[in-house]
Amino acid sequence: MADEAARLEQQAALADAAWVSPDLPLRANLSLLENIAIALQYRLNLPSDNAQARSWALLEQTELTAYAHQRDCDLAYSVRFAGKFLRALVSEPPRLVIDRPALLLPDIPYPRWLPAFLDRLNGVQPPLPPCLALDYTWNQVLWN
Amino acid sequence: MIRNMATSESIIAALGCTAVQRWRTFQVTGRLAGRAVVEALSPRFYGNSATRSVVAKQIYFTAWQILPAFTLFAAMLSFVLIEIVVSTARDFGLSEYALEMTVRVLVIEIIPLLTALFVATRSGAAINTEVALMHIHNELEGLRQAGIDAMRFELVPRVIGGAVSVLALTAISSSVALVIALLLVYGPQPWAWAEFGQVLARIFTPLSVIGLWLKVLLFGVVVTVIPIASGLQVPRKLFFAPIAVLQGMVRLFFVLMLVEVGSLALRYI
Repeated sequence: MADEAARLEQQAALADAAWVSPDLPLRANLSLLENIAIALQYRLNLPSDNAQARSWALLEQTELTAYAHQRDCDLAYSVRFAGKFLRALVSEPPRLVIDRPALLLPDIPYPRWLPAFLDRLNGVQPPLPPCLALDYTWNQVLWN
Repeated sequence: MIRNMATSESIIAALGCTAVQRWRTFQVTGRLAGRAVVEALSPRFYGNSATRSVVAKQIYFTAWQILPAFTLFAAMLSFVLIEIVVSTARDFGLSEYALEMTVRVLVIEIIPLLTALFVATRSGAAINTEVALMHIHNELEGLRQAGIDAMRFELVPRVIGGAVSVLALTAISSSVALVIALLLVYGPQPWAWAEFGQVLARIFTPLSVIGLWLKVLLFGVVVTVIPIASGLQVPRKLFFAPIAVLQGMVRLFFVLMLVEVGSLALRYI
Protein backbone atom coordinates (compact mmCIF):
# COMPACT_ATOMS: atom_id res chain seq x y z
CA MET A 1 0.00 0.00 0.00
CA ALA A 2 1.15 3.50 -0.82
CA ASP A 3 0.11 5.46 2.24
CA GLU A 4 -2.20 5.71 5.27
CA ALA A 5 -5.25 6.42 3.09
CA ALA A 6 -4.59 3.21 1.15
CA ARG A 7 -4.23 1.30 4.41
CA LEU A 8 -7.60 2.55 5.64
CA GLU A 9 -9.14 1.49 2.33
CA GLN A 10 -7.68 -1.98 2.79
CA GLN A 11 -8.99 -2.05 6.34
CA ALA A 12 -12.52 -1.40 5.12
CA ALA A 13 -12.16 -4.00 2.37
CA LEU A 14 -10.89 -6.64 4.81
CA ALA A 15 -13.50 -6.04 7.50
CA ASP A 16 -14.20 -9.77 7.96
CA ALA A 17 -10.55 -10.55 8.75
CA ALA A 18 -8.91 -10.61 12.16
CA TRP A 19 -6.21 -7.95 12.39
CA VAL A 20 -2.85 -8.26 14.07
CA SER A 21 -2.05 -4.61 14.36
CA PRO A 22 0.12 -2.19 16.35
CA ASP A 23 -3.16 -0.36 17.07
CA LEU A 24 -4.71 -3.39 18.80
CA PRO A 25 -2.68 -4.13 21.93
CA LEU A 26 -2.92 -7.09 24.28
CA ARG A 27 -4.73 -6.52 27.60
CA ALA A 28 -2.08 -4.93 29.78
CA ASN A 29 -3.11 -6.58 33.04
CA LEU A 30 -3.23 -10.12 31.64
CA SER A 31 -0.29 -12.42 30.97
CA LEU A 32 0.51 -13.67 27.48
CA LEU A 33 -1.18 -16.99 28.28
CA GLU A 34 -4.27 -15.30 29.73
CA ASN A 35 -4.60 -12.99 26.74
CA ILE A 36 -4.94 -15.98 24.44
CA ALA A 37 -6.95 -18.09 26.89
CA ILE A 38 -9.52 -15.40 27.62
CA ALA A 39 -10.46 -15.15 23.93
CA LEU A 40 -11.03 -18.93 23.87
CA GLN A 41 -12.82 -18.98 27.20
CA TYR A 42 -15.18 -16.16 26.29
CA ARG A 43 -15.97 -17.22 22.73
CA LEU A 44 -16.39 -20.96 23.34
CA ASN A 45 -17.52 -20.65 26.97
CA LEU A 46 -14.81 -23.09 28.04
CA PRO A 47 -13.78 -23.70 31.65
CA SER A 48 -10.74 -21.58 32.49
CA ASP A 49 -8.39 -24.61 32.87
CA ASN A 50 -9.39 -26.00 29.51
CA ALA A 51 -8.89 -22.65 27.75
CA GLN A 52 -5.48 -22.23 29.41
CA ALA A 53 -4.42 -25.76 28.41
CA ARG A 54 -5.31 -25.10 24.77
CA SER A 55 -3.50 -21.76 24.86
CA TRP A 56 -0.47 -23.41 26.44
CA ALA A 57 -0.43 -25.92 23.56
CA LEU A 58 -0.32 -23.02 21.08
CA LEU A 59 2.55 -21.42 23.00
CA GLU A 60 4.38 -24.75 23.03
CA GLN A 61 4.00 -25.06 19.29
CA THR A 62 5.51 -21.59 18.84
CA GLU A 63 8.20 -22.27 21.49
CA LEU A 64 7.06 -19.37 23.67
CA THR A 65 6.10 -21.09 26.92
CA ALA A 66 8.96 -19.31 28.71
CA TYR A 67 7.04 -16.05 28.28
CA ALA A 68 3.58 -17.44 29.13
CA HIS A 69 3.27 -15.64 32.44
CA GLN A 70 4.78 -12.31 31.38
CA ARG A 71 2.62 -9.29 30.73
CA ASP A 72 2.57 -7.09 27.65
CA CYS A 73 5.03 -4.48 28.95
CA ASP A 74 7.69 -7.17 29.59
CA LEU A 75 7.42 -8.87 26.20
CA ALA A 76 9.88 -8.51 23.31
CA TYR A 77 8.39 -7.32 20.01
CA SER A 78 8.39 -10.79 18.47
CA VAL A 79 6.73 -12.39 21.51
CA ARG A 80 4.13 -9.62 21.69
CA PHE A 81 3.46 -10.14 17.99
CA ALA A 82 3.03 -13.88 18.57
CA GLY A 83 0.60 -13.16 21.42
CA LYS A 84 -1.51 -10.89 19.23
CA PHE A 85 -1.35 -13.39 16.38
CA LEU A 86 -2.43 -16.34 18.54
CA ARG A 87 -5.22 -14.31 20.14
CA ALA A 88 -6.51 -13.45 16.67
CA LEU A 89 -6.06 -17.05 15.52
CA VAL A 90 -8.23 -18.55 18.28
CA SER A 91 -11.14 -16.37 17.19
CA GLU A 92 -11.14 -18.58 14.04
CA PRO A 93 -11.37 -15.78 11.46
CA PRO A 94 -11.71 -16.50 7.72
CA ARG A 95 -8.55 -14.43 7.12
CA LEU A 96 -5.75 -12.98 9.18
CA VAL A 97 -4.15 -9.65 8.34
CA ILE A 98 -0.73 -8.69 9.67
CA ASP A 99 -0.96 -4.90 9.66
CA ARG A 100 2.27 -2.96 9.10
CA PRO A 101 4.75 -5.66 10.19
CA ALA A 102 7.51 -3.06 10.28
CA LEU A 103 5.80 -1.48 13.30
CA LEU A 104 5.00 -4.81 14.93
CA LEU A 105 8.47 -6.26 14.46
CA PRO A 106 10.85 -3.31 14.23
CA ASP A 107 13.93 -5.12 15.53
CA ILE A 108 14.01 -8.26 13.37
CA PRO A 109 14.13 -8.98 9.62
CA TYR A 110 10.44 -9.75 9.48
CA PRO A 111 10.14 -10.84 5.82
CA ARG A 112 12.25 -13.88 6.74
CA TRP A 113 11.01 -14.27 10.31
CA LEU A 114 7.26 -14.26 9.52
CA PRO A 115 7.19 -17.31 7.19
CA ALA A 116 9.27 -19.24 9.74
CA PHE A 117 6.79 -18.29 12.48
CA LEU A 118 3.82 -19.35 10.34
CA ASP A 119 5.56 -22.66 9.54
CA ARG A 120 5.68 -23.42 13.25
CA LEU A 121 1.89 -23.18 13.33
CA ASN A 122 1.39 -25.97 10.80
CA GLY A 123 -1.15 -28.49 12.02
CA VAL A 124 -2.28 -26.24 14.82
CA GLN A 125 -5.86 -26.19 16.14
CA PRO A 126 -7.73 -24.07 15.08
CA PRO A 127 -6.17 -24.37 11.60
CA LEU A 128 -4.25 -21.41 10.25
CA PRO A 129 -6.43 -19.32 7.88
CA PRO A 130 -4.98 -17.50 4.85
CA CYS A 131 -2.64 -14.78 6.12
CA LEU A 132 -1.94 -11.47 4.49
CA ALA A 133 0.77 -8.96 5.40
CA LEU A 134 -0.06 -5.33 4.70
CA ASP A 135 3.15 -3.39 4.29
CA TYR A 136 4.03 -0.04 2.79
CA THR A 137 5.35 0.02 -0.76
CA TRP A 138 8.68 1.50 0.36
CA ASN A 139 9.32 -1.72 2.30
CA GLN A 140 8.80 -3.83 -0.84
CA VAL A 141 12.54 -4.14 -1.26
CA LEU A 142 12.76 -6.05 2.03
CA TRP A 143 10.33 -8.69 0.79
CA ASN A 144 12.20 -9.13 -2.49
CA MET B 1 -19.19 47.14 20.91
CA ILE B 2 -17.83 44.46 18.54
CA ARG B 3 -15.54 43.18 21.26
CA ASN B 4 -18.48 42.89 23.70
CA MET B 5 -20.47 40.90 21.15
CA ALA B 6 -17.54 38.58 20.54
CA THR B 7 -17.14 38.04 24.30
CA SER B 8 -20.80 37.25 24.82
CA GLU B 9 -20.74 34.90 21.80
CA SER B 10 -17.75 33.03 23.20
CA ILE B 11 -19.45 32.76 26.60
CA ILE B 12 -22.57 31.31 24.96
CA ALA B 13 -20.43 28.94 22.90
CA ALA B 14 -18.56 27.79 26.03
CA LEU B 15 -21.86 27.26 27.88
CA GLY B 16 -23.20 25.31 24.91
CA CYS B 17 -20.08 23.12 24.78
CA THR B 18 -20.37 22.41 28.52
CA ALA B 19 -24.05 21.56 28.17
CA VAL B 20 -23.39 19.19 25.24
CA GLN B 21 -20.51 17.57 27.14
CA ARG B 22 -22.69 17.08 30.25
CA TRP B 23 -25.46 15.62 28.12
CA ARG B 24 -22.99 13.16 26.53
CA THR B 25 -21.69 12.17 29.95
CA PHE B 26 -25.25 11.60 31.10
CA GLN B 27 -25.99 9.52 27.99
CA VAL B 28 -22.88 7.33 28.34
CA THR B 29 -23.52 6.81 32.06
CA GLY B 30 -27.21 6.05 31.51
CA ARG B 31 -26.50 3.62 28.67
CA LEU B 32 -23.88 1.80 30.73
CA ALA B 33 -26.12 1.60 33.80
CA GLY B 34 -29.02 0.35 31.66
CA ARG B 35 -26.85 -2.30 29.99
CA ALA B 36 -25.51 -3.39 33.39
CA VAL B 37 -29.02 -3.79 34.80
CA VAL B 38 -30.21 -5.74 31.73
CA GLU B 39 -27.14 -8.02 31.79
CA ALA B 40 -27.38 -8.53 35.56
CA LEU B 41 -30.95 -9.75 35.15
CA SER B 42 -30.12 -11.98 32.18
CA PRO B 43 -29.28 -15.64 33.00
CA ARG B 44 -27.22 -15.76 29.77
CA PHE B 45 -24.69 -13.38 31.31
CA TYR B 46 -23.90 -15.80 34.15
CA GLY B 47 -23.67 -18.73 31.70
CA ASN B 48 -20.32 -17.50 30.36
CA SER B 49 -17.39 -18.67 32.48
CA ALA B 50 -15.19 -15.72 31.42
CA THR B 51 -17.66 -13.05 32.56
CA ARG B 52 -18.35 -15.00 35.76
CA SER B 53 -14.64 -15.02 36.54
CA VAL B 54 -14.40 -11.22 36.08
CA VAL B 55 -17.37 -10.72 38.45
CA ALA B 56 -15.70 -13.00 41.01
CA LYS B 57 -12.38 -11.14 40.68
CA GLN B 58 -14.14 -7.80 41.14
CA ILE B 59 -15.88 -9.02 44.30
CA TYR B 60 -12.57 -10.40 45.57
CA PHE B 61 -10.71 -7.11 45.05
CA THR B 62 -13.55 -4.82 46.13
CA ALA B 63 -15.03 -6.67 49.10
CA TRP B 64 -13.08 -9.76 50.19
CA GLN B 65 -9.62 -8.19 50.23
CA ILE B 66 -10.72 -5.32 52.50
CA LEU B 67 -13.28 -7.19 54.59
CA PRO B 68 -11.25 -7.59 57.84
CA ALA B 69 -9.92 -4.03 57.87
CA PHE B 70 -13.25 -2.49 56.92
CA THR B 71 -15.21 -4.55 59.45
CA LEU B 72 -12.75 -3.53 62.16
CA PHE B 73 -13.09 0.13 61.14
CA ALA B 74 -16.91 -0.13 61.12
CA ALA B 75 -16.84 -1.78 64.56
CA MET B 76 -14.62 0.94 66.03
CA LEU B 77 -16.70 3.73 64.51
CA SER B 78 -19.93 2.10 65.68
CA PHE B 79 -18.54 1.66 69.20
CA VAL B 80 -17.52 5.32 69.47
CA LEU B 81 -20.74 6.73 67.97
CA ILE B 82 -23.04 4.46 69.97
CA GLU B 83 -21.15 5.27 73.17
CA ILE B 84 -21.49 9.02 72.48
CA VAL B 85 -25.22 8.79 71.69
CA VAL B 86 -26.03 6.48 74.62
CA SER B 87 -24.12 8.55 77.22
CA THR B 88 -25.53 11.86 75.89
CA ALA B 89 -29.07 10.44 75.89
CA ARG B 90 -28.53 9.23 79.47
CA ASP B 91 -27.40 12.72 80.54
CA PHE B 92 -30.57 14.24 79.12
CA GLY B 93 -32.83 11.51 80.49
CA LEU B 94 -33.61 10.17 77.02
CA SER B 95 -32.14 6.67 77.43
CA GLU B 96 -35.23 4.96 76.05
CA TYR B 97 -34.69 6.66 72.67
CA ALA B 98 -30.93 6.07 72.52
CA LEU B 99 -31.03 2.70 70.77
CA GLU B 100 -33.58 3.74 68.16
CA MET B 101 -31.70 6.95 67.41
CA THR B 102 -28.39 5.10 67.12
CA VAL B 103 -29.73 2.46 64.75
CA ARG B 104 -31.54 5.01 62.58
CA VAL B 105 -28.47 7.22 62.18
CA LEU B 106 -25.74 4.59 62.11
CA VAL B 107 -27.23 1.61 60.28
CA ILE B 108 -29.57 3.37 57.87
CA GLU B 109 -27.51 6.46 57.03
CA ILE B 110 -23.85 6.51 58.10
CA ILE B 111 -22.68 2.94 57.42
CA PRO B 112 -24.14 2.63 53.88
CA LEU B 113 -22.74 6.04 52.91
CA LEU B 114 -19.31 5.35 54.44
CA THR B 115 -19.16 1.96 52.73
CA ALA B 116 -19.97 3.53 49.37
CA LEU B 117 -17.37 6.27 49.93
CA PHE B 118 -14.75 3.70 50.96
CA VAL B 119 -15.39 1.51 47.90
CA ALA B 120 -15.47 4.62 45.70
CA THR B 121 -12.08 5.89 46.89
CA ARG B 122 -10.46 2.47 46.74
CA SER B 123 -12.02 0.54 43.85
CA GLY B 124 -13.81 3.37 42.02
CA ALA B 125 -10.56 5.27 41.50
CA ALA B 126 -8.78 2.08 40.37
CA ILE B 127 -11.57 1.20 37.93
CA ASN B 128 -11.62 4.75 36.57
CA THR B 129 -7.86 4.67 35.92
CA GLU B 130 -7.90 1.19 34.42
CA VAL B 131 -10.80 1.90 32.06
CA ALA B 132 -9.28 5.25 31.03
CA LEU B 133 -5.97 3.52 30.19
CA MET B 134 -7.74 0.67 28.38
CA HIS B 135 -9.64 3.23 26.33
CA ILE B 136 -6.56 5.35 25.59
CA HIS B 137 -4.47 2.32 24.55
CA ASN B 138 -7.31 0.92 22.42
CA GLU B 139 -7.36 -2.34 24.39
CA LEU B 140 -11.16 -2.52 24.21
CA GLU B 141 -11.01 -2.52 20.40
CA GLY B 142 -8.29 -5.20 20.62
CA LEU B 143 -10.68 -7.37 22.60
CA ARG B 144 -13.47 -6.74 20.12
CA GLN B 145 -11.20 -7.85 17.28
CA ALA B 146 -10.54 -11.07 19.21
CA GLY B 147 -14.27 -11.79 19.28
CA ILE B 148 -14.86 -10.51 22.81
CA ASP B 149 -17.67 -8.07 23.63
CA ALA B 150 -15.65 -5.68 25.80
CA MET B 151 -18.72 -4.16 27.43
CA ARG B 152 -19.97 -7.58 28.47
CA PHE B 153 -16.58 -9.00 29.42
CA GLU B 154 -14.73 -6.06 30.99
CA LEU B 155 -17.24 -3.39 32.04
CA VAL B 156 -20.57 -4.90 33.08
CA PRO B 157 -18.93 -7.50 35.40
CA ARG B 158 -17.22 -4.63 37.21
CA VAL B 159 -20.59 -2.94 37.79
CA ILE B 160 -22.19 -6.15 39.04
CA GLY B 161 -19.18 -7.03 41.21
CA GLY B 162 -19.06 -3.51 42.63
CA ALA B 163 -22.77 -3.51 43.47
CA VAL B 164 -22.57 -6.93 45.14
CA SER B 165 -19.50 -5.77 47.10
CA VAL B 166 -21.18 -2.61 48.43
CA LEU B 167 -24.28 -4.63 49.40
CA ALA B 168 -22.19 -7.28 51.16
CA LEU B 169 -19.90 -4.84 52.99
CA THR B 170 -22.90 -2.77 54.13
CA ALA B 171 -24.75 -5.88 55.34
CA ILE B 172 -21.74 -7.14 57.31
CA SER B 173 -20.79 -3.81 58.87
CA SER B 174 -24.43 -3.01 59.71
CA SER B 175 -24.76 -6.39 61.44
CA VAL B 176 -21.61 -5.69 63.44
CA ALA B 177 -22.99 -2.26 64.42
CA LEU B 178 -26.27 -3.83 65.57
CA VAL B 179 -24.44 -6.36 67.75
CA ILE B 180 -22.31 -3.58 69.28
CA ALA B 181 -25.46 -1.49 69.90
CA LEU B 182 -27.12 -4.45 71.65
CA LEU B 183 -24.07 -5.04 73.86
CA LEU B 184 -23.54 -1.36 74.72
CA VAL B 185 -27.18 -0.56 75.44
CA TYR B 186 -28.29 -3.76 77.21
CA GLY B 187 -25.09 -5.61 77.98
CA PRO B 188 -24.80 -9.38 77.39
CA GLN B 189 -28.30 -10.08 78.80
CA PRO B 190 -30.43 -12.64 76.88
CA TRP B 191 -33.61 -11.23 78.45
CA ALA B 192 -33.03 -7.94 76.60
CA TRP B 193 -33.04 -9.57 73.16
CA ALA B 194 -36.84 -9.46 72.89
CA GLU B 195 -36.92 -5.74 73.64
CA PHE B 196 -34.06 -5.18 71.20
CA GLY B 197 -36.01 -7.10 68.57
CA GLN B 198 -39.08 -4.93 69.17
CA VAL B 199 -37.03 -1.76 68.61
CA LEU B 200 -35.60 -3.20 65.38
CA ALA B 201 -39.07 -4.21 64.20
CA ARG B 202 -40.25 -0.65 64.79
CA ILE B 203 -37.36 0.78 62.73
CA PHE B 204 -37.08 -1.81 59.98
CA THR B 205 -40.57 -1.89 58.56
CA PRO B 206 -40.82 -3.69 55.19
CA LEU B 207 -40.95 -0.35 53.36
CA SER B 208 -37.95 0.98 55.25
CA VAL B 209 -35.92 -2.18 54.50
CA ILE B 210 -36.79 -1.99 50.80
CA GLY B 211 -35.84 1.70 50.76
CA LEU B 212 -32.55 0.99 52.51
CA TRP B 213 -31.53 -1.81 50.15
CA LEU B 214 -32.55 0.18 47.08
CA LYS B 215 -30.35 3.01 48.30
CA VAL B 216 -27.42 0.66 48.93
CA LEU B 217 -27.91 -0.97 45.53
CA LEU B 218 -27.91 2.46 43.90
CA PHE B 219 -24.70 3.30 45.78
CA GLY B 220 -23.18 0.05 44.50
CA VAL B 221 -24.10 0.74 40.88
CA VAL B 222 -22.99 4.38 41.06
CA VAL B 223 -19.52 3.64 42.51
CA THR B 224 -18.62 1.65 39.40
CA VAL B 225 -20.76 3.10 36.60
CA ILE B 226 -19.56 6.69 37.02
CA PRO B 227 -15.82 5.84 37.05
CA ILE B 228 -16.27 3.55 34.03
CA ALA B 229 -18.25 6.17 32.08
CA SER B 230 -15.62 8.77 32.95
CA GLY B 231 -12.84 6.47 31.74
CA LEU B 232 -14.63 5.77 28.46
CA GLN B 233 -15.06 9.44 27.67
CA VAL B 234 -11.43 10.45 27.96
CA PRO B 235 -9.76 11.59 24.70
CA ARG B 236 -7.21 9.03 23.48
CA LYS B 237 -4.20 10.86 24.87
CA LEU B 238 -2.25 9.61 27.85
CA PHE B 239 -2.02 12.97 29.62
CA PHE B 240 -5.83 13.04 29.87
CA ALA B 241 -5.89 9.96 32.15
CA PRO B 242 -5.44 11.89 35.46
CA ILE B 243 -8.10 14.39 34.35
CA ALA B 244 -10.55 11.55 33.66
CA VAL B 245 -9.94 10.14 37.15
CA LEU B 246 -10.30 13.54 38.78
CA GLN B 247 -13.57 14.28 36.93
CA GLY B 248 -14.92 10.81 37.60
CA MET B 249 -14.20 10.98 41.32
CA VAL B 250 -15.73 14.44 41.73
CA ARG B 251 -18.85 13.37 39.80
CA LEU B 252 -19.05 10.23 41.90
CA PHE B 253 -18.84 12.17 45.16
CA PHE B 254 -21.66 14.51 44.15
CA VAL B 255 -23.89 11.69 42.89
CA LEU B 256 -23.37 9.71 46.12
CA MET B 257 -24.31 12.79 48.13
CA LEU B 258 -27.31 13.38 45.88
CA VAL B 259 -28.53 9.82 46.45
CA GLU B 260 -28.06 10.21 50.22
CA VAL B 261 -29.83 13.58 50.38
CA GLY B 262 -32.60 12.26 48.15
CA SER B 263 -33.14 9.24 50.37
CA LEU B 264 -33.19 11.45 53.50
CA ALA B 265 -35.71 13.76 51.87
CA LEU B 266 -37.93 10.84 50.86
CA ARG B 267 -37.75 9.33 54.32
CA TYR B 268 -38.16 12.37 56.53
CA ILE B 269 -39.72 15.23 54.54
